[in-house]
Amino acid sequence: MNYHRPEENIRIDWLTVIIYILIVSFGAMNIYSANSTIDHTFIFDLTMEYGKQFLWIGVAAIIVFLILLLDPKFFNFSGYGIYIIVIIMLLILLGTGVINKGAQAWFKIGSFKLQPSEFAKYATSLALAKYLGTFDVKFLGRKNIAICFGIILLPMALTLAQNDTGSALVFVSFFLVLYREGLSGWYLVIGLYMAALFVFTILFPSLYLIFGILLICGAVFYFFKKYAQMLWLSLIVFFASAIFILSVDFIFAKVLQPHQQQRILVTLNQDVAEYYPRKAKEFSLFKIDANRKDKKASKRDYSYNVRQSKISIGAGRWVGNGFNNGTQTKAKLVPEQHTDFIFCTVGEEYGFIGSTLFVLVYIFFIGRLYYMAERQKNVFSRVYGYCTASVIFFHFFVNVGMALGVLPVIGIPLPFMSYGGSSLFSFSMMLFTFLKLDANRVNEISSVY
Amino acid sequence: MERNGKLLVFFIVLSVIGVIFITRLFFLQIVDTSNYYKALAYGSNEITIYPARGTIVDRNGKLLVYNDAVYDLMAVPKNIKSIDKVKLCNVLQIDTIELNTRIKKASRYNAREASIIYKSLPFNIYSQLQEILYDYPAFFIETKIDRRYNINGAAHLLGYMGEVSEKQLQVEKYYKPGDTKGVSGMEKSYELYLRGKKGKRIVLVDKFSRQQGSFAGGKFDSMPVAGQNIIASIDLNLQEYGEQLMKNKFGSIVAIEPATGEVLSIVNSPNYDPNVLVGQSRNKNFSALLLDPRKPLFNRALKAPYPPGSTFKTVQALIGQQEGVLFPDTRYPCHGGYHMGSLTVGCHSHASPLDLESSIQQSCNAYYCFVYRKILDNPRYSSVQEAYIKWTQYLNSFGIGIKTEIDLPEESPGIVKKTQYFEKVFGKNWRSSNVISLSIGQGEIGLTPLQMANVATVIANRGYYFTPHVVKAIGDEKLLPEKFKIKHKALIDPTYYDSIIAGMARVCKPGGTAGRTGIEGIAICAKTGTAQNPHGAHHSIFIAFAPRDNPKIAIAVVVENGGYGADYAAPIANLMIERYLATDKTKTTRQDMLDRMLNSNLVGSSIYDAPKPDSTLRKTLLPLTIKP
Repeated sequence: MNYHRPEENIRIDWLTVIIYILIVSFGAMNIYSANSTIDHTFIFDLTMEYGKQFLWIGVAAIIVFLILLLDPKFFNFSGYGIYIIVIIMLLILLGTGVINKGAQAWFKIGSFKLQPSEFAKYATSLALAKYLGTFDVKFLGRKNIAICFGIILLPMALTLAQNDTGSALVFVSFFLVLYREGLSGWYLVIGLYMAALFVFTILFPSLYLIFGILLICGAVFYFFKKYAQMLWLSLIVFFASAIFILSVDFIFAKVLQPHQQQRILVTLNQDVAEYYPRKAKEFSLFKIDANRKDKKASKRDYSYNVRQSKISIGAGRWVGNGFNNGTQTKAKLVPEQHTDFIFCTVGEEYGFIGSTLFVLVYIFFIGRLYYMAERQKNVFSRVYGYCTASVIFFHFFVNVGMALGVLPVIGIPLPFMSYGGSSLFSFSMMLFTFLKLDANRVNEISSVY
Repeated sequence: MERNGKLLVFFIVLSVIGVIFITRLFFLQIVDTSNYYKALAYGSNEITIYPARGTIVDRNGKLLVYNDAVYDLMAVPKNIKSIDKVKLCNVLQIDTIELNTRIKKASRYNAREASIIYKSLPFNIYSQLQEILYDYPAFFIETKIDRRYNINGAAHLLGYMGEVSEKQLQVEKYYKPGDTKGVSGMEKSYELYLRGKKGKRIVLVDKFSRQQGSFAGGKFDSMPVAGQNIIASIDLNLQEYGEQLMKNKFGSIVAIEPATGEVLSIVNSPNYDPNVLVGQSRNKNFSALLLDPRKPLFNRALKAPYPPGSTFKTVQALIGQQEGVLFPDTRYPCHGGYHMGSLTVGCHSHASPLDLESSIQQSCNAYYCFVYRKILDNPRYSSVQEAYIKWTQYLNSFGIGIKTEIDLPEESPGIVKKTQYFEKVFGKNWRSSNVISLSIGQGEIGLTPLQMANVATVIANRGYYFTPHVVKAIGDEKLLPEKFKIKHKALIDPTYYDSIIAGMARVCKPGGTAGRTGIEGIAICAKTGTAQNPHGAHHSIFIAFAPRDNPKIAIAVVVENGGYGADYAAPIANLMIERYLATDKTKTTRQDMLDRMLNSNLVGSSIYDAPKPDSTLRKTLLPLTIKP
């Protein structure tokens, strides 16, 4: 490597930039498809979402340019500062935010609405990178883990408090970064196990569930009885699971308000009207009160979205209907198609071949980000790179998964594709901050770690 | 710098998710085609473009049935923003309160769908509205087609339109809910030709059924094909004349062109204006017609079997000759009737004995009692029953007792009883004397006016008829269905018609039974009939054709409770013949007769009911005291 002229050795990863431009342009095309009508075809029509998206892309280009101008040390230096500002903004929002789609997630500045939770991911990434990059964090001790969890869970809790469940769940992706940085994989396994138990407890009778776990633990114990510790492990797993299930059941049935229950049910793709009578009849320790059902909330049923989404994607067949020709798309049959369900447009207009290509390109894009993150020489850049890749990965996984009907409907955008200024700005900032760090990596002295 | 294997874990997870997504895509897009078909159904809407229905003109090219554009003012309530309601109301000539209630009503039905705000715009409002509608984007005018009838009668002939019922929708896939089709008359029987072919336009719609443009660039759209125009065989002038003559009477006129079988007019009385069964008030008017005790919807000409009375003697005379039991010079005595034991068939006073020709002219009852007994007791046959069966075969060859297969729906075959019927009434070995009333067209026999006209046609043609039809030509190619070109031959040799026609030619001349109704200069051959009926006064019946050589018109007239055949049916038939044959369609040489017909009123004496055959008929009819 060349070290003699470090200050000029800036290498932007142009492959990533090209993929970024491709995805953003493709996104704008799809928003145009999903949004233009017979009366509105001019692509820069600012009364339409696609027209605005072109405006946002322009603004994003300026933001990207500014970020590339910044000294890479700035990000490390201001990591905590940006984090604190965003936390304060989220706190202010709790009191004053504009209600939108049931979530209290927007700042309204003139006609422009800003969604701080989008920037919270950016800020959390910087803060996490800063903390892990700090010189003395060499091993992830219990205290370090606790602080990392705190950095992640604080904005997550605040976002959740704003009713923005989707955005809050995105913070889960940071645990992947911690895994890379040495957090035991068991944390992830236990986390997934608890998430699964939580979902099963809400969907199925809790007592059956406990009985099922008892059977599995008993079987495990029986087959591995020559290992003495298996008895204790089985017992611990069983009792921990049982206590967890019962507490989830109790909290869900007796503590949560009907609208809170329903938010969870809707996220889990449940038909609210059908759920309560079924649950009330169920053999359960904590009986749910069917009369507590909030009638107003039951109208928000995402099963329609998913059904329409699947039909729309299915309509694409091999090669799709072609740009601006999707019948379902033009008919605006899928709700939120230009935002959270933008993948439907890809599915319908470009078919199996186009969609597969899109998925492959996107996965290559994320994979490249991970690869680039891994090649960083200092911990700050690496952790930040993993954060960027993981957040984009989580968004991609959940967004495409829900459009394909394999995951519950969690309203989060597809990065660089979905309509929305806040989302485009925050992801562009995140990505180009990383590209700037990456471009500068050769100038960094290899971290001691 | 730490290199651990965890990057590989990330790559593996990424790849697994990529594989899951692509597999899922393959399943959704390629394997499971149901989504694709749902998409076709959900995202597009098929808009039917209705073709113009064919028109119907009469045999002289005068318009009978046509289409008329009706303009409705429509609005999509949800799109009505701030508009100048006062200006709109001024044009519509309604007040704002009324407009608001109409919009509110439409909004309640479906705020996103267009509803009618003002139905059938009068033309002056329509043209004013066109000028200001630019300012009212939520409003538009929809053009609809309604049927119009250029005649205020002939309703049974032309028929009417009706909404296709749910039951029919399942059988006939061509129709969609809300479609109309012909449900009676020519509108029904020529539905396939008149309706044309619907076109369709497939448009993309959003979830609120709002149109978003055409589907696949209009690749699957099709233009409607207009219905075929039909030339009816009806003579509009004659039809209207007949309807005037039948005013205030119950009954029917059927006129046929003998050389072709084309029906020149079918008059039913009471009648109704077919235009009342069009548009908004259709249902209201229809139930009014249905409940009317005069039964204006009843198609007497095709569905009411009347005893033919003495007009039937022409048929009896022909069968008798064919069977070899009657000759032109055969004479039978009449002493005020036919007497046989306790049975008496009365007759009016006339010279006696009469030959065949005179028996037609004078309409002697006794003569035909002799003839009919000769037919049934013919030693050629082993029994009366066998002779009777042979006799019914003759009748069928005249179109009696069977459907004529006219091209109009719902035709009655009339009444000709089978031998079994008489076995039931009179026992196994019933005799010719049991059914003697049939000889003069009374009792167990019924002919529809159409069948009577067909009998006149057979005699006019000397032995054959074409299936009567009301259509002359269909479409631009002027096609006529082949079945109307087939000659149906009566089982009577042409030579036997001479003396019958000679007798009929004397009926409308002095000394004939309708001697006072003749038209100067026209050789009318006719036969009167006076049918006794159990419900009231006799039915006045008349069959005729003219001119004697190369006949142009054959006609049958039935006037219920009109008395003698010469009283009403004969004058009406002769006036019709005169009108049809005359070059000047406005004049008549029998103004006296015309005035009498136009001014007469038989409705008061009527029993508001068409004759129905019943088993008690015979008891009320015997002993017969029939007058000519």
